[in-house]
Amino acid sequence: MDCYTANWNPLGDSAFYRKYELYSMDWDLKEELRDCLVAAAPYGGPIALLRNPWRKEKTASVRPILEIYSASGMPLASLLWKSGPVVSLGWSAEEELLCVQEDGAVLVYGLHGDFRRHFSMGNEVLQNRVLDARIFHTEFGSGVAILTGAHRFTLSANVGDLKLRRMPEVPGLQSAPSCWTTLCQDRVAHILLAVGPDLYLLDHGACSAVTPPGLPPGVSSFLQMAVSFTYRHLALFTDTGYIWMGTASLKEKLCEFNCNIRAPPKQMVWCSRPRSKERAVVVAWERRLMVVGDAPESIQFVLDEDSYLVPELDGVRIFSRSTHEFLHEVPVASEEIFKIASMAPGALLLEAQKEYEKESQKADEYLREIQELGQLTQAVQQCIEAAGHEHRPDMQKSLLRAASFGKCFLDRFPPDSFVHMCQDLRVLNAVRDYHIGIPLTYSQYKQLTIQVLLDRLVLRRLYPLAIQICEYLRLPEVQGVSRILAHWACYKVQQKDVSDEDVARAINQKLGDTPGVSYSDIAARAYGCGRTELAIKLLEYEPRSGEQVPLLLKMKRSKLALSKAIESGDTDLVFTVLLHLKNELNRGDFFMTLRNQPMALSLYRQFCKHQELETLKDLYNQDDNHQELGSFHIRASYAAEERIEGRVAALQTAADAFYKAKNEFAAKATEDQMRLLRLQRRLEDELGGQFLDLSLHDTVTTLILGGHNKRAEQLARDFRIPDKRLWWLKLTALADLEDWEELEKFSKSKKSPIGYLPFVEICMKQHNKYEAKKYASRVGPEQKVKALLLLGDVAQAADVAIEHRNEAELSLVLSHCTGATDGATADKIQRARAQAQKK
Amino acid sequence: MAFPHRPDAPELPDFSMLKRLARDQLIYLLEQLPGKKDLFIEADLMSPLDRIANVSILKQHEVDKLYKVESKPALSSSEQLCFLVRPRIKNMRYIASLVNADKLAGRIRKYKVIFSPQKFYACEMVLEEEGIYGDVSCDEWAFSLLPLDMDLLSMELPEFFRDYFLEGDQRWINTVAQALHLLSTLYGPFPNCYGIGRCAKMSYELWRKLEEEEDSEAKGRRPEIGHIFLLDRDMDFVTALCSQVVYEGLVDDTFRIKCGSVDFGPEVTSCDKSLKVLLNAEDKVFSEIRNEHFSNVFGFLSQKARNLQAQYDRRRGMDIKQMKNFVSQELKGLKQEHRLLSLHIGACESIMKKKTKQDFQELIKTEHALLEGFNIRESTNYIEEHIDRQVSPIESLRLMCLLSITENGLIPKDYRSLKTQYMQSYGPEHLLTFSNLRRAGLLTEQAPGDALTAVESKVSKLVTDKAAGKITDAFSSLAKRSNFRAISKKLNLIPRVDGEYDLKVPRDMAYVFSGAYVPLSCRIIEQTWPRKTTRLPASPCASSWWCSWVAARSLRSQPCGSWAERRGTGSFS
Repeated sequence: MDCYTANWNPLGDSAFYRKYELYSMDWDLKEELRDCLVAAAPYGGPIALLRNPWRKEKTASVRPILEIYSASGMPLASLLWKSGPVVSLGWSAEEELLCVQEDGAVLVYGLHGDFRRHFSMGNEVLQNRVLDARIFHTEFGSGVAILTGAHRFTLSANVGDLKLRRMPEVPGLQSAPSCWTTLCQDRVAHILLAVGPDLYLLDHGACSAVTPPGLPPGVSSFLQMAVSFTYRHLALFTDTGYIWMGTASLKEKLCEFNCNIRAPPKQMVWCSRPRSKERAVVVAWERRLMVVGDAPESIQFVLDEDSYLVPELDGVRIFSRSTHEFLHEVPVASEEIFKIASMAPGALLLEAQKEYEKESQKADEYLREIQELGQLTQAVQQCIEAAGHEHRPDMQKSLLRAASFGKCFLDRFPPDSFVHMCQDLRVLNAVRDYHIGIPLTYSQYKQLTIQVLLDRLVLRRLYPLAIQICEYLRLPEVQGVSRILAHWACYKVQQKDVSDEDVARAINQKLGDTPGVSYSDIAARAYGCGRTELAIKLLEYEPRSGEQVPLLLKMKRSKLALSKAIESGDTDLVFTVLLHLKNELNRGDFFMTLRNQPMALSLYRQFCKHQELETLKDLYNQDDNHQELGSFHIRASYAAEERIEGRVAALQTAADAFYKAKNEFAAKATEDQMRLLRLQRRLEDELGGQFLDLSLHDTVTTLILGGHNKRAEQLARDFRIPDKRLWWLKLTALADLEDWEELEKFSKSKKSPIGYLPFVEICMKQHNKYEAKKYASRVGPEQKVKALLLLGDVAQAADVAIEHRNEAELSLVLSHCTGATDGATADKIQRARAQAQKK
Repeated sequence: MAFPHRPDAPELPDFSMLKRLARDQLIYLLEQLPGKKDLFIEADLMSPLDRIANVSILKQHEVDKLYKVESKPALSSSEQLCFLVRPRIKNMRYIASLVNADKLAGRIRKYKVIFSPQKFYACEMVLEEEGIYGDVSCDEWAFSLLPLDMDLLSMELPEFFRDYFLEGDQRWINTVAQALHLLSTLYGPFPNCYGIGRCAKMSYELWRKLEEEEDSEAKGRRPEIGHIFLLDRDMDFVTALCSQVVYEGLVDDTFRIKCGSVDFGPEVTSCDKSLKVLLNAEDKVFSEIRNEHFSNVFGFLSQKARNLQAQYDRRRGMDIKQMKNFVSQELKGLKQEHRLLSLHIGACESIMKKKTKQDFQELIKTEHALLEGFNIRESTNYIEEHIDRQVSPIESLRLMCLLSITENGLIPKDYRSLKTQYMQSYGPEHLLTFSNLRRAGLLTEQAPGDALTAVESKVSKLVTDKAAGKITDAFSSLAKRSNFRAISKKLNLIPRVDGEYDLKVPRDMAYVFSGAYVPLSCRIIEQTWPRKTTRLPASPCASSWWCSWVAARSLRSQPCGSWAERRGTGSFS
């Protein structure tokens, strides 16, 4: 404890900087760092090294090796570089390695050295070659900026959604700029470059010269520039050894420093903490590291070996062949607690807890002191916060213990912050472990969020750890465990040495019915690796047919897709498959497939009925479904054909089909219709008027109404109209004509097959009581009563009913008796009834 | 209100929620196309739309002019066109012709197609084939359930029957499943679900799948709907084929009830205009007579008229204060009731004119004979005469179908001759009608193997006593597909009554067909009903009453695509 602040270096009056070791690297580097292209991803990301053979003269016969290590130096991948010369390496926000080649092609590799994709930065770049390139990060993603041999800049702000932007020319630029960087302001990426004593800012449309305020005279060149992690600050290193620090907008100078070293620094990066007032820049030369800020003195370190600086959100990582260190400004809480002779509440609390453990009464004194000032809450908070910023677990523990001790003396201290800090630290210590090698600080972790951290673990294939973290933090399954399992499964299907059955079983065993796992996604991945059979097996576990079918189609398992779609009951899905099949198969095969799937067949028929009539016909033909084919032609005879000949022809085809279907009835009916049509046509020609498309009945009626009785009779004979119908028909027609004479003649032509009651009815309908009476007498006895009632002769009806001794007839008559007029008749009936009952 | 005489009847779920939901969704869709627009509405969506959002609501959301979707080209001059249509290919072609005509004329407009209740892939396909897929934007108006009354919902899908039962097209089943899903989301999960038929089963399964996919929080909610019955129409065609004789049914027969409202012509309104009247539980007069056998209706109405008169007459003895009270409070109600009463009396008169004729009596008699299965030959002759005289094409078909179903198909000779007669009367194009009816199983020919049934009908003609009934049943169970007789015996669908059937105080739900037939669907519901949960006194009249009520109202008047949901007598423990 005494030496706890030993590695604290004051910068100015108010800030301390400390450097501590994260890992001692045991990577087995064959090359010196200085001979390599180096790229290290922020947020404790991986390190990529590519021995740069192109720098030396023509030793390209030896192919270089691209190596990827975790931040702790564990090898992740190593591959022989077979493509062209690489100018620059860089990591994207998704931890993909971007390798910018001299010809402007950018090759993208995964964390494990798996090739993902490549893209080109355009023709202009290809022609002029790449001179220099930078990978930069904005809130939208990762961008690439390229300086070409023609001293022009091309950039893309997001490699995920590649849009190339060619920056405007810098007037009079003859040689490469001495240094340049990308800035990001107002969501647009700019380029700042230094040419001799001048600075230029390139944005979308223009190139403008800029001057940093407060720059001393005598600067003839800028050797290095650095922009802070958040793009807010800019530092410039001039050839006079002067460092200018200000805002990235170049509107304000924050501070300056003169280090009197004229050698160009190897690297210069910002080292600041979010929400801190202190600004500092770390400058590295071959063997010297300097932290400069708003103070007359700087902090100096000696570098024993080649080192590389990685700017982070809240500090700088420095790694070399043997160690990996972190340099940052000591956070306020830590400073308050650990500063020598600090009387801050947190410091007292930590002291109190230590005394308490020693069972000394001093504990009480310290505690009392804090309580008297009413700062216990603050003390606890300070301890919790400081614990977060400690790298060493024993320090974290002692701070947390102090916080926990202090909490006991507080009434209502919300436990969340303490609990969350314990959880977060546990997660952080786990991922910082040597084997995992993600040295995140607490601030970085909070900025990155747990979701992204989980993604990164998944990317490193550290599935068990990721799942343990999810379970430990009790994340909802859909976001947590099942998502990771799904990723695991996607990785699993790529293991080509394991058999399909085993993979499918293993996946199903692990995943089961975990909510939120999409088997179709996993299957798609399997298919992507060329394992179609495995994909089909996996799809069997997919409960949603909507997800199964498209993939099956993609895999050209259309028939399986069809049966799955039908199983689902979703007709839209079936239809999708059908159309796919239709294009994929030849017509015959397509129809054969349909034949075995009645549900799909009827669906397709419905569609054809409205949209593709010819196909419908072919479908029926294929199935030898002559009955439907006949119906089809009949429909066509009404819909498609205007001319009578066309209609008859269609009907003839229909009749033939019906014969084939052994439906003689329909065939005969169709033939009759053809006859009728021709006849109606002739009638129209000869007699005028409208006959076409009338029914047989109506045709005959029309003829009678027109007075063509002969023809009507002929027609009735030709089409064998039954007698009964003919009588009804004539009766109605003649009554409509009010041709009573003809009606009478007709009634006497032979015995009526429908009786004579209809005659009475129809005459009464035309209000011709006189004619009606004529027929009433001829009505058979069983209908006499009804006939008489129709005539309105209630009295006589009653007589007949009484005579018949028919109970039903009696009540019928009785129901027709109205009011006073039929009073006598009613009485008569009642009497007759009574009499009948007596008997 | 639905069960005024049943104090223990639980309250109905608030179905007006469905209306509000549909309206809000429609408004949202209309707002998606900001600015003035013309709305093209498909004819058979007009009545349902009217129940959801009237013209003024549409105007509020910047609908300028309304057009009907028809075959004529539209003369709209608006810059934005919105189509509200059923997902039919015909409509797609109409829209395509319109858009393509605009394209030819070099006119640029915005088009939006709203499909109700859902869009089908086939429709989008046609739009694509016609080359306008990129020019129109498509949306769905998931308006699947229309509350016709406070206790009756309808999906208003007229083509369901044809598509499913005739063409075997299953696309609407998903819509049904979605409607069920909507109901269970809004009114809590259904504790009990029953169903008969293939379509019911598929709907149920699809619906279950929907529920499983969506982890609804509704679980554990108190269910507002206790029982769901899913019944395929084809298991009980008979109900739909018999003539309706309760008041509401006759109103439907005479004036056609569409979407719960009816157009009464001048002969009813006794003025020269026709009037659109909403028929639901809010119409106090109607709600009292809707389920009454027609023979009781007149008596009831005249009683009502007398009461009304008495109420009016009360004002004679009143002093000023009472009179003021009367005018301000009661008069309006009385006037309203008066208006309704005169309307329904007018309607009754019209119905009487049509239905009390000799023909109607004969028709009913024949129907009853068919249901009971005697005098088949006579009934067949009657049907033939009916056809010969061109009485009514649809009624003739109805009788033929009834004959076919009750007799398990027509004997070949009758099958041919009736068809021939029918085509002579109404034209040869009905060859297609018959082919469709056969496919739907409505009008079939007895297969040679079913000759037994033919024998049976002869037997029943010869012997008409009780013994015959037994023989008939024996034969029926022998016949392979003869179901009607077996089922009606088993479930006692045809009540055997000694003497006159009392239509005023009916003992069972057969009164809806003048005592000739108990609707099968309703009987099944009655039988399935878990008796132990019913708290009622076991009065058969009370429990069957509501069943028949459902039968008369929903299954009859909306023979296809609609289904009723009731939460009646049970309590859910």
